[in-house]
Amino acid sequence: MADLPLAPSDVALPEARRRLNPTLVRYLSALRTPKGVVGLSILVLMGLAALLAPVLFPGGYDQQGPQALTGMSGKHIFGVDEFGRDIFVRSLYGLRIDLSLILTAVPLSMAVGTLLGLSGVISERLGAAVQRLLDVVIGFPGLILGICLVAILQPGWPALFLTILISGLPTAGRLARGAWLAQQSREYVLAARVLGVSRWQLLVRHVLPNAMDAIVVNGAVWMVVGVYIEAGLSIVGLGVQPPTPSLGVLLNNGLRFVTQSPTYIVGPALLLLLVSVGFSLLSDALNEAVNRR
Amino acid sequence: MTSTESPAPVMAKDAPLLRVEGLRTEFRSKKGGIKAVNDVSFDIYPGDVLGIVGESGSGKSVTARSIMRMLRPPGEVVAGSVRFGGEDLLTLPEREMRRRRGSKVALVFQDPQSALNPVMKVGDQIVEAMTVHGVGKQAARERASDLLEQVGIPDVQTKIDHYPHQFSGGMRQRVVIAIALANDPALLIADEPTTALDVTIQAQILRLLARLRTELGIAIAIITHDMGVVAELCTDVVVMYGGRTVEKGTVEQVFEQPRHPYTAALLAAMPRLDDDRTGRSLPAIPGAPPDPAAPPPGCPFAPRCRFTEEACEQEPPALLQIGGAGQAAACFVAQRAAGGLDFSAPVRDEPATTTGTPAAPPAAEAVLEVRDLRVDVGSRRRGLFHREPPVYAVDSVSLSVHAGRTLGLVGESGCGKSTLSRSIVGINRVAGGSILVDGADVSAMGEQELTRVRSSVQYLFQDPYASLNPRRTIRQSLAEALAFRGIGGRAREEAARSLMTQVGLRAEHLDRYPHAFSGGQRQRIGIARALARQPRTLILDEPVSALDMSIQAQIINLLEKLQNELGLGYLFIAHDLSVVRHLSDTVAVMYLGRIVEYGDAAEVYGNPQHPYTAALLSSSPVPSVSARSRERIILPGDLPSPANPPTGCRFRTRCPIGPLAQPDRTICTEVDPQLTLTATGRRAACHFAGELALQA
Amino acid sequence: MVRFLIRKIPSVVFVLFASSIVAFALPRLAPGDVAVTLAGTDSTAAAIAAIRQELGLNRPLVVQYWDWIVGLFQGNLGESYLLRRSVASLIGDRLGSTLELAALATLLVILIGTTLGVAVGSTRRRWARAGLDLVNSFFIAIPSFLTGLALILVFGVLNRWLPVSGEVSFMADPTIGFQFLILPAFALALPSAAVVARLLQAEMLAVKNEDYVDLALSKGASATRITLRHVLRNSVGTAVVAVGLQIGNLLAGAVIIEAIFNRNGLGQLAVSSVQTRDFTVLQVLILAVVFVAVICQILTEVVLAGLDPRIKLGE
Repeated sequence: MADLPLAPSDVALPEARRRLNPTLVRYLSALRTPKGVVGLSILVLMGLAALLAPVLFPGGYDQQGPQALTGMSGKHIFGVDEFGRDIFVRSLYGLRIDLSLILTAVPLSMAVGTLLGLSGVISERLGAAVQRLLDVVIGFPGLILGICLVAILQPGWPALFLTILISGLPTAGRLARGAWLAQQSREYVLAARVLGVSRWQLLVRHVLPNAMDAIVVNGAVWMVVGVYIEAGLSIVGLGVQPPTPSLGVLLNNGLRFVTQSPTYIVGPALLLLLVSVGFSLLSDALNEAVNRR
Repeated sequence: MTSTESPAPVMAKDAPLLRVEGLRTEFRSKKGGIKAVNDVSFDIYPGDVLGIVGESGSGKSVTARSIMRMLRPPGEVVAGSVRFGGEDLLTLPEREMRRRRGSKVALVFQDPQSALNPVMKVGDQIVEAMTVHGVGKQAARERASDLLEQVGIPDVQTKIDHYPHQFSGGMRQRVVIAIALANDPALLIADEPTTALDVTIQAQILRLLARLRTELGIAIAIITHDMGVVAELCTDVVVMYGGRTVEKGTVEQVFEQPRHPYTAALLAAMPRLDDDRTGRSLPAIPGAPPDPAAPPPGCPFAPRCRFTEEACEQEPPALLQIGGAGQAAACFVAQRAAGGLDFSAPVRDEPATTTGTPAAPPAAEAVLEVRDLRVDVGSRRRGLFHREPPVYAVDSVSLSVHAGRTLGLVGESGCGKSTLSRSIVGINRVAGGSILVDGADVSAMGEQELTRVRSSVQYLFQDPYASLNPRRTIRQSLAEALAFRGIGGRAREEAARSLMTQVGLRAEHLDRYPHAFSGGQRQRIGIARALARQPRTLILDEPVSALDMSIQAQIINLLEKLQNELGLGYLFIAHDLSVVRHLSDTVAVMYLGRIVEYGDAAEVYGNPQHPYTAALLSSSPVPSVSARSRERIILPGDLPSPANPPTGCRFRTRCPIGPLAQPDRTICTEVDPQLTLTATGRRAACHFAGELALQA
Repeated sequence: MVRFLIRKIPSVVFVLFASSIVAFALPRLAPGDVAVTLAGTDSTAAAIAAIRQELGLNRPLVVQYWDWIVGLFQGNLGESYLLRRSVASLIGDRLGSTLELAALATLLVILIGTTLGVAVGSTRRRWARAGLDLVNSFFIAIPSFLTGLALILVFGVLNRWLPVSGEVSFMADPTIGFQFLILPAFALALPSAAVVARLLQAEMLAVKNEDYVDLALSKGASATRITLRHVLRNSVGTAVVAVGLQIGNLLAGAVIIEAIFNRNGLGQLAVSSVQTRDFTVLQVLILAVVFVAVICQILTEVVLAGLDPRIKLGE
């Protein structure tokens, strides 16, 4: 018998704490850590900016001004592009594209990936076969997959959406399948089996809640990957097509005028960085909270 | 080791080798310090074997780490001194302390599986212990092979270049001991050195430690939770509880006349091999050990003690001499009572009344029967090119469980006892033979059979921390089981509340999550969940082995009470022979997938027929001084792999009366003995059954 | 070892087969007719039919696939109909550039990753660890193209310290070649290195809690010795796996880095072949990426088995 962890005694914990859902407690505690607070604040700020862009700048992202390619100034804090359009306004509209892309594609990808990963519930053969297929997808790094899809679908939003969706499947699937396999040998799952609980009930009551942690953390990580995929494909010209601005498109344009107006790329890069850092901090905080005992 | 080897009383000894005084160790956290070790003092004299005994959270391991200055952050020694050879180890600079670690004081760890660096050859790991203290490589290597020889590793010249994973658990622990001995330390601190090992291997290691002590004159401090190990090996003992020393003295003093109510209660609550209390409940200690984060203000044992007075709850008593020279106890009440406390009075909370003889008549019906069961655990994985050969972890096993009766199934890890029990409830696939539940054959384990099994047979798992889903409240866990009764709403609520009461928990706690319960309470919840399906048979898979000593008796009593109330049949699986003895009517002894002996518990324990049973009984440490002088049967070697069992008798590679000892007994190599009636009318699977008699 | 490789064959074949199906399907899934594209805007139906015949597009799919695969095995990678050059020569021209970039980047991943990981994993000062960990978090969060853009701004535009556009082969002129190579390789390597460092550091912190580290401490071994002989030695496996997993990311990242630094490598070739819908080139490149990834995975396992005596290849 090892020195087992002690259960908190009657003195240590008030009754209310004993009745709090431990999953919820951990997620909330993640958001209270410094990383969680900073990450969430950044993301809320970015989200608001993207949401309010049409309200703040009802003129849209295509309004041209008299000058072109000026640096940062008080009037145009990110400067002006080659057509005299305000880069800040364009960046906010670009942020809308990026956020709407990842906030739809990533959760969907996680959900579909989880379902695929759990196909082993139906039959072990099916599960193993699906896993094999997902392993093939892993062989294609996100951008390579994107290149393939763009080749088929033409550059644009749908290709980006599908790229993010598909490239997220294997990890989510692997996590879900891993949880299913690992939970099978857990004593509380065996106990439920001995009681006569069916496989589907096992899945819903015991396996999914325990797989959630890893999948939620992975989802936050994949948000960052999604932004990379959008930006990466757009930089090489395979992403969203101009004049629609996405952060990647703005970087692509900025790079072309990097000698004339070196600050062109700074603004969009900064926003991209903030989104990426925001999600990274959030996923870090969640990960630490989930793995804390 | 015989009792005559025990040293004279403390007064006659020389200067202590190690003197720990007023040691306090805290784990700092944001919410304040947790006092893990609280004012602990003891001495170790040259040649002593000191047992530091206590339950989890008593601070015994932290004490060892404090002495070695190997506390993990945020642990910190906040007061006290550790004097070794005249200098205080706690005030030495780290560089100086490092020179003493391993050379003056050495440590042996609990789990030999994890104590060795997996990517370093064992020889190099021993050599390293010497080279860091300035010994030359060549000399160190020569000494390493001598050491391996000394700790009993066979074929040293080959084995020295093997990696740890090529050794068995027992052999690894020998290597760890060899590392500890490398620099001829004066003191060896062994932290639960046999806890992770099987009984027969434990006996080997304990014998090795005793031998080293006599051969090398080394002093040993052994940290353990097992009173039996202390009684067997030690000269002196320190009993710890809630971070404090509650009692110390020589082993004879403490075991023959304990002075502290905790020591006395613990010794009384332990089931014993020679138990004549079967059918009666054990005098269990109520409650649970204190939480180090919130210790009681006074004596740590006061909340559970039946002698508690007002003073006990206000300030902790000092450790003062009571009884003979060297014996001391920290108890106000005992210190006042000149002639010692009377511990024989009935326990306050759970009166030791007889719970009556088993409710069922001797000819009770069989609720569970297993006939010639085989379970294959090998061919689960199928490669593309080849199929793995079958490995029968359970090979032709038959047994039956009767209503109101308990069948105890004993054996060491790897003998197949858990595989067997899990096959009965359909977790492992049956490869051959049959399983009968309430007389109906369910071996096919189809939908219909499984429904039958599950409404009649339930299972209690070993680890109370793993068998409850941490994300579901107790109410949810119970509801999952109660759903099968087809009751809902008020009836289900009623049933849940009455189950809680039945297992000794408060119904108000139904909405708590498992983390709010102690190990013993969780095991009660596990029992409640199993009972929710109103089974006729309960399979108990090591139900108390993960629990603290002072909690075990509570659960054993509860199981006994429930059996008498509900007429349940128990299949009780354990490696601890004393617990099995207390609970069982019939005993089956398992070795390498086979049952080697089967019979009435009292008869099997009193006069074992199979040499393995005899060796198991003889290897089990007994918490009593009088048992020290008994002759030991210590089995050599390790359990063979079930993938490749020996020909003939499976036990012959370790058997003390088999071809190892008597080469002319070729029958053991050639003929596989069946479980048959012996001359004395008992059942054993041995060609020479009854030959190895057990010495009392 | 040989047994291990033989065991690996089925899964390698499966992955390559599946990828080849994907690659083969690409032009056939894409809208539009390859023959029409090739023939030009105002061509006759007969001309299109002739091209169709020449390319074998009117034969059954299975036959087309079979011919393609057999061709690949015979070293015939096909011909770019648009550029009228063999795919082999197109790839050959650009292979060196990408190889140089990937090799230096991998080297940097190993160097920076292990240094940073060991630094964080072995320091005992809490603030130092937290600080380095934070830096590491930022490196992970900053994608390689942003690092690339920042490097271009700082080293190429604001100061003209290093060339940021184009390339000179390292083989032709090591000094100049290196100047062209270092910025893109560094940008490419940084996020991967940070990931490697993070995994190595986490593993080292976990290994520190192992009993055998305590055993080494109880022998009287010094902190440095414990870190090197026990903690690090048992953590390198994780670093090896991490590096192996990053190779795929490096290859994908190279596509963007080549675009940003205007290097004429395979990535650029892939992008331009997508833009011009030159599928024969793309198909081979895709298969090549998957092949490299599979080889890296096997290599990782071999190295891992060499590091850990508990792992026996082929068992």
